[in-house]
Amino acid sequence: MSESSKIHVPDVPLGRLIRMPGGKSAGQAIADAEQGLASLQGESMKELNRVLAKAETFYARADGKFDALVVSAFYELINGAIGLPTAGKDRAIDTMLVSLADLLDYYRTSGDWGDKSVQVHLATFQLLLKTEGVRDPQGTELILAGLRKVSRKAAKG
Amino acid sequence: MGFSSDPRARFNLEQVSILLLDETPLGMSILVQVMNGFGARKLHRCDSVAKAEHVVRETELDLLIVDAMASGGGYDFVHWLRSSGIRPNCYAPVLLTAAHTPAAAVTNARDCGAHIVMAKPLTPKAVLDRIVWVARTGRRFVESDKFVGPDRRFKEAGVPEKVGVGRRREDVVPGKGQG
Repeated sequence: MSESSKIHVPDVPLGRLIRMPGGKSAGQAIADAEQGLASLQGESMKELNRVLAKAETFYARADGKFDALVVSAFYELINGAIGLPTAGKDRAIDTMLVSLADLLDYYRTSGDWGDKSVQVHLATFQLLLKTEGVRDPQGTELILAGLRKVSRKAAKG
Repeated sequence: MGFSSDPRARFNLEQVSILLLDETPLGMSILVQVMNGFGARKLHRCDSVAKAEHVVRETELDLLIVDAMASGGGYDFVHWLRSSGIRPNCYAPVLLTAAHTPAAAVTNARDCGAHIVMAKPLTPKAVLDRIVWVARTGRRFVESDKFVGPDRRFKEAGVPEKVGVGRRREDVVPGKGQG
């Protein structure tokens, strides 16, 4: 028995509105948005310091072994922080957060726990926050490449 | 996916009614700064699904930017919107933003009825490209017992015609000429 379905192309007013006279060029709009985001840099760094402090608390609570509730809350904390550093123009911290989220997602679904893998991510988090604005790009990239290897290796078991 | 944009192309978001849903204050600030930078003036800021549902019932919307949120509430909200029957909002373009995206989250995003899923971190250019893209394509809409939302079947056809940005040779769809 086949289910009933209807396929149509609805009217999308957005298509007409976006073409109305006036507005901005794409280049100007992007520049204005980036300027607006720059105003959030201080707030973003403050929030990331708060996230790091909370992440260290979760790490201590795990106490070297898998704890479903702790890992789940830890994952949600890191997941919620992804995107905040780039708003403050810091892609390196975002890369680290994505790597840590990959790792924690693996742990929360597999029931494993790798103390050292988490520890190295948190140490990097701390380092990146302390060196914000004065980092060597090549050195930072090497550190981040190392982190990605750690999370990939952990997921392979 | 060929979403590149021409920095000289003009667009106007001043009259576009936009719902923003993000439960974190800083996440909301990021969206607001980006949309203000684009010249959007009619922003409906919602920090909870309940508030967003209220706005959908009371206001005509042209675009929704919804964060998946740690609770997964963003997916449920889009699913509710599509099934609500509240016209024209139930057909409005939805950009879903998501932080970490394991396979299950991608499936959720695809099946909830969003037009496009954007992985964080967001950049203004990426957001603008996708707004322009959803605005200018006549995407088919499916309403069935199991799914309500934009057609999930895509043909990789380069930049849609008349976007005004597909000027490269590889953007031209064979047999369709230049848009």
